[in-house]
Amino acid sequence: MSLNRDAFVAVFFLLLCAVMFVASFDLPPPMFGQMSPALWPRIILVPLALLSVLLLFQSQRNPADNEKTSFSDWIEFNKRPFVCFVLFFLFLVTMPVAGMLLGGLAYVFLTLSVLGGWKPRQLGLHAVISAVFVIGMWAVFTQALGVLLPEGEILRVY
Amino acid sequence: MGLFENLAGAAPELFTIKTMLLMMVGTMAGLIAGAIPGFTIAMAVVLVLPFPFSMTPVEGLATMIAVYVGGLSGGLMSGILTGIPGTPSSVATTFDGYPMARSGRPGLALGIGVWASFFGGVIASIVLMVVAPQLAMIGLEFQPVDYFSLILFALTVTASMAGDQILKGLMAALIGLLIATIGSDVVFGQPRFTFGVDSVAQGFAFLPVLVGLFAFSRLLGDVRTREKAHQRLGGEEAHAVHIDYLGSAREVIGRWGNILRSSLIGVFVGVLPAAGSTISNILAYDQAKKTSKESDTFGTGAVDGIIAPESANNATAGGALIVMMALGLPGDIMTAIMLGALLIHDVIPSPSFITDEPQIAYSIFLAFFVANFMMLFLQSFTLRGFVLVTKVKMYMLAAVILFYCSVGIFALNNVTYDMWTLFIFGIIGFVLRGLGFPIVPMVLGVVLGGIAESRLSQVFARSDDIMVFISRPWSLFFLLLGCFSLVFPFYQKNLGKKAWTRFFVPLLLIVQAVPVFMMPGIVRPSLAIAMAMTGGLMLIYRLRGEKLPNSAGSTNSTD
Repeated sequence: MSLNRDAFVAVFFLLLCAVMFVASFDLPPPMFGQMSPALWPRIILVPLALLSVLLLFQSQRNPADNEKTSFSDWIEFNKRPFVCFVLFFLFLVTMPVAGMLLGGLAYVFLTLSVLGGWKPRQLGLHAVISAVFVIGMWAVFTQALGVLLPEGEILRVY
Repeated sequence: MGLFENLAGAAPELFTIKTMLLMMVGTMAGLIAGAIPGFTIAMAVVLVLPFPFSMTPVEGLATMIAVYVGGLSGGLMSGILTGIPGTPSSVATTFDGYPMARSGRPGLALGIGVWASFFGGVIASIVLMVVAPQLAMIGLEFQPVDYFSLILFALTVTASMAGDQILKGLMAALIGLLIATIGSDVVFGQPRFTFGVDSVAQGFAFLPVLVGLFAFSRLLGDVRTREKAHQRLGGEEAHAVHIDYLGSAREVIGRWGNILRSSLIGVFVGVLPAAGSTISNILAYDQAKKTSKESDTFGTGAVDGIIAPESANNATAGGALIVMMALGLPGDIMTAIMLGALLIHDVIPSPSFITDEPQIAYSIFLAFFVANFMMLFLQSFTLRGFVLVTKVKMYMLAAVILFYCSVGIFALNNVTYDMWTLFIFGIIGFVLRGLGFPIVPMVLGVVLGGIAESRLSQVFARSDDIMVFISRPWSLFFLLLGCFSLVFPFYQKNLGKKAWTRFFVPLLLIVQAVPVFMMPGIVRPSLAIAMAMTGGLMLIYRLRGEKLPNSAGSTNSTD
């Protein structure tokens, strides 16, 4: 068996289907002649499992169609997006402390700098962009639209 | 009273300075709301909802319709310029609008989108006023089983659009449906697949999922390398970008057949409750691709690929309004909100609403017509500002839009849970896109999953007999059409190479004639006989290896 990208994907979805199918037995039984809560998920899971098997066969029949990239190459290729995801994660985690305004300023500035560069001139431009857009959007939502954005412990404004 | 008398009676109510100003503000607000990914038309209409308290019913509803029409058209700006649909109704616009913009013609792409939206809206307005009762009758015929089959058809259509990757397209649609089952079941509201995490019991709101799947995967995919990140959205010639109104008008008018077909698809889908512009723009795109002589160019910046979804999504609003006004059935979330606004004024839409309240009903029809002209007029200003986005470097746009998306998503329900949903589905979308899975079928699966389950539960509440799926004409019609949609990518790939492809169109006609023949009345069975005879004739000629003497052009075009 050739372990290529699609084979991994197919096996992953087969396992997912198995887990979900088993979990569907924990759902409560139907009442008053209504449709069981487990029926619709099972209707989805059966064809999904069959298609996963088909994908597995297809990946074995045409292994050349799949990219043969090492895991480290894949990580290297997607390094920038991963850093962006980490920054967004930190933005969400620090929300209760920093709030939408300060957290947003930090998130946009850091994302811009990670993607755009760390030269002094670029940092200045990124600071201006962060300030204008984050404060502008924050003002539109809070002042014009009356949306209460999350306030932080550091700066209690919303 | 006739149509024109009713319109003349409603005109003084609508054409006041105050109402016109309110509509202009509403259109502008809709355009801006539609253009910002994550800030949807629904949200804009919801924000407008408190205002009708202080207005007359006509003023309030005209403002809402203006927001609705503006929002439907505003979505094309972000869809074309950033590749992220501002609204679900402009998902298909990105397929060709974005590639055209990336190839250095954002002005032309935007112009085509605006004109297509305008013509779609105007055609829908006329249909709305003239044939509203007849179209609403079709929607009335639908039973839950028909809706369920329609949803299956919509999913197979989107999956079939993945072409060679139809297997992954189908899997993506099923994954979307599966995502929609997480949270609580639609019948009893009991937690389902929460795996012990209490907050998951509320499920995943559609908009954070949509923005997560689209925004993160697309934006972050565009900044993988330093070169791509520093690339200007409109290329290095971004300063030369301008909106070619005349050129785009010529392109659009020259493709009037596509405009008409897409607009009618939009109206038809709009008439069907719960279908909406999310489906119509994809169906119209699919039909345009299937009927185009240049189907190979679709996905790379085809003009027809922009016209079809934009005509259809604006026209869908007309269809949705027909059902909402005539029957009190909301076709989508926007018309549901409008229904709420009508109730604020103690106006209860019902089948007799148009005859009981002709002034309000025809004012709304007129408002929809006028809003399209306002959209055309105001979008030219909004677009000029929005085109400046094309001069921005990709990484700048990515960072700022990701933040805007998170703020917009939070503002929907004022809960940070939605932002986590955005983040999680951002990762899922990025990974699945990287693995070659199309995102659109998955998004449609998420949107339609709850509706499909609800319809299925209604089917089983009435009877356990599953034969109802093939004994109901509309259900059978959509199921058969769904089967043909699944085969279509193989037909397209093997056209001219394999013998069976010669029989695809005749068989489609013959097979689809069966459910149409089962439908009540005289017109549709007669149409079915014509379909079957045409299909049979084509089949005989193709079996003999000859071309039809008087339909060679049409045969080639369908091939």
